[in-house]
Amino acid sequence: MENLKLKIIKKKDVLNFLDSLKEEYNILVPKEKDGDIRFSEFSSGEDIPWDYRNTKISPKEIFLPRTETLFSFKEGTLTPSDSGGVFAPANEPKGSAQKTDSNKRTANYLIFGIRPCDAQAFSLLDKLFGGDDFQDPYYLKRKEQAVIISLACNKPQITCFCTSLKGKPDNEEGSDIILFDLGENILTKPITKKGEEFIENLNSWFKEAKEADIEKKNKLMDLSLKKICSGVDLHNIKEKLDEAFDISLWNEIHQKCLGCGICTYLCPTCYCFNIIDEMDHETGGLATSRGKRIRCWDSCMFSLFTLHASGHNPRPTFKERMRQRIMHKFNYCPENFKEIFCVGCGRCIRNCPVNLDLRETLASLMSFGSMSKDKKV
Amino acid sequence: MNNPYLPIPVTIKKITIENEARDIKTFDLVFNVKKDIEKFKYTCGQFAEISMLGIGESPIGIASSPIDEDLVQFTVKKYNTGVVTSALHNLCPGDMIGIRGPYGNGFPMKDFEGKNLVIIGGGFALTTLRSLTRYVLHEKNRDRFKDITVLYGARSPGELIYKSELKEWGERDDINVYLTVDRGDENWKGRVGLVPNVLKEVAPSSKNSVALICGPLIMVKFTMLPIMDLGFEPDKIFFSLEMRMKCGVGKCGRCNIGPKYVCKDGPVFTYEELQRLPQEY
Repeated sequence: MENLKLKIIKKKDVLNFLDSLKEEYNILVPKEKDGDIRFSEFSSGEDIPWDYRNTKISPKEIFLPRTETLFSFKEGTLTPSDSGGVFAPANEPKGSAQKTDSNKRTANYLIFGIRPCDAQAFSLLDKLFGGDDFQDPYYLKRKEQAVIISLACNKPQITCFCTSLKGKPDNEEGSDIILFDLGENILTKPITKKGEEFIENLNSWFKEAKEADIEKKNKLMDLSLKKICSGVDLHNIKEKLDEAFDISLWNEIHQKCLGCGICTYLCPTCYCFNIIDEMDHETGGLATSRGKRIRCWDSCMFSLFTLHASGHNPRPTFKERMRQRIMHKFNYCPENFKEIFCVGCGRCIRNCPVNLDLRETLASLMSFGSMSKDKKV
Repeated sequence: MNNPYLPIPVTIKKITIENEARDIKTFDLVFNVKKDIEKFKYTCGQFAEISMLGIGESPIGIASSPIDEDLVQFTVKKYNTGVVTSALHNLCPGDMIGIRGPYGNGFPMKDFEGKNLVIIGGGFALTTLRSLTRYVLHEKNRDRFKDITVLYGARSPGELIYKSELKEWGERDDINVYLTVDRGDENWKGRVGLVPNVLKEVAPSSKNSVALICGPLIMVKFTMLPIMDLGFEPDKIFFSLEMRMKCGVGKCGRCNIGPKYVCKDGPVFTYEELQRLPQEY
C-alpha cells in the first residue's frame, strides 16, 4: 500500500515543474553563491545542485529570520508586521530578511530540497513556538503556509551523526514530502496529508514508481546509512545529565571555547532570541518617534545574554555558558518537550574555529560516571 | 492568534518618589483603552514587561493589588546601566508607555488561605509582597487569612519604600509590622539591625505558617538559616526570583534555571522547588 503513493518525476522536468508553481508559491531552493549553499528564491532555468551536502547557514532562517520586525511604531501607534512577507537571505541585494513584496501574489512557501535533518529541526522548533500556553504568531504563520519537500542524503558528510539522534538519511519527520535522487529520476514520497494533496493536485507531472525504482532507492539509502560512521551512544543521556550539573568535567570541556557563538548561530535547532528597538533616523540623524521593535538571533554563548542591569550574571564564565548550551539541548528540552534539541547535522563541528567536537563532548559526558563531583558548586 | 509581543498602551497618571536617593519611583498607570483592563487581570506576585517604544522592555513585578481597580502600579529602581529603567525615570505624568503581561505564576493565594503569613522583604524588593499584603488586608479578604506579620528592612530610614502605607499598616491591629534599618539616623526611633537578626528576635511561629521572602540575594541567603531554625518546611518558604528576560513567555531562552523558566514557571518558587534546581541564579 505504502508503495502506491511513491511517484517518479524526471529530473530534467523538475525545473519546469517548479516554474509552473512560481505563481502559487514562493519557492526556496538551495543555491550556490560564493562557495556556499543557501536557500534562496528559485529563478527559472537555474539548476538545482542535487548533490549538495548541506547549507552552511541552517534553513531555520526561513521561519525564524536572523532579524525580523515584530511591529513598527509611529507616534505611539503600533503596526504589527505582516509575517507572511517573502523570505530573502539577509545578504542578497535589495533584500531584507523580511520584506513585504507587494508584487508577490502569494504568502505560501515551497521549500524544496532541504536536508532531512533540517526538516526534523522544524518539527522541534514547532514544539517551542507552538506550545499550549503562548504561541508565536510570526513563526507559526510562516510555517503554516509552507510545504516542506526534503531531499534524502545520498552522500553524508564525515561530521554527520544524525543516526546517533533520531535521524537517518531518509528521515521523514518534519517533511511533507521526501525526495530521493535516483540519478535520472526523482522518487517522491508524500509523508503528510499536505504532501499527499500537493502531489495529487499536480498529478500530471508524476508517474507511478516501478519496483526497480524502489529497489534502487532502498539500495542507495542502505549505502548512505553505512557512510555515517561517526556517532556517539546517547542512550539515556537525559537521565545521565540529570546528575551532571556539578561534575568537574565542565571545568575542562569549555577550556578551548572562544565563546564566538557560531555553533548556536548555525544550529538548526538553536532558537534563543533577543528583542531590541530600532529608531528610524531618516531626518538627518535626529531622533524621531518612528521605529521598529525587532527580534534577532541571540546566543547563550555570550555573557550579555544573561547579564542583569545590577551587574549580577548567573552565567558569568564560559564554563556556565557551555554547560547551558549542552544542558539545554540534551537535558532541559528533553524535560520540557520530550525531545533532544539536536539533529546531528554537524554544523557546529564543521564550523567551530577551535575544532570543538560536540560528539566528543557528549561522549565524555556519557562516560562521566567515574568522575568526581565538583566540590565547589 | 493572540500576539504576545504587542504591548498594551497605558498612560502614567502619577509618579511617587519612594526613597531618599530618588532612584526608586512608583508609577501609577491607567489603561488608554478601558477594556484592556480585562486583558490584564493579574494575581499577586505576577510581573509585566514595561515597554517603551524605541527604548526597549524591562520585566517588573506588579506592585498594585488585584483589588486596586482601574490602576496598575509598578515600583521601579533606576539602574544607570538599565536603559529602560533610566528612560522610565525621566518620564512625567501624562506620558504614554506600554505594558505586556501579566506574566508568571504569582503567589498561590488559594493555598495561603487559613494560614499565618510571614512576609519578609528587603530594600526595593517589597513590591510584589506589597501587592500581596494589600490584597490580604482588604476587608473582603482579611478573614480568609490568619495572622499576618511583615518584617521589612532597608539600608537606612530614607530607603524604606511605601512609607505612608507602612505607617498605615503599623496602626492597624490585624497585622504585625516590624521595620528595621541597617543604620539609623537622628530621627529614627525604630529597630536597627539586619533582617535575619530581627527575624531571630521576632521569631514568628512556623505552625500553620508560610514565609514569603523577597530581597537582595545576600539578605535572602542569610535569612535562610533563621527561617529554617524556626521550623519552616522547605515547601512553606516562597521566593520571588529575578532574571534577565526578553520575551516573558518562555521562548527567548535566557531566564532559565535548569529546565524551569523564571518568566513562565516562576517567578515564585518554593525553597523545595529551588533545592531541586541547579544553583544558577
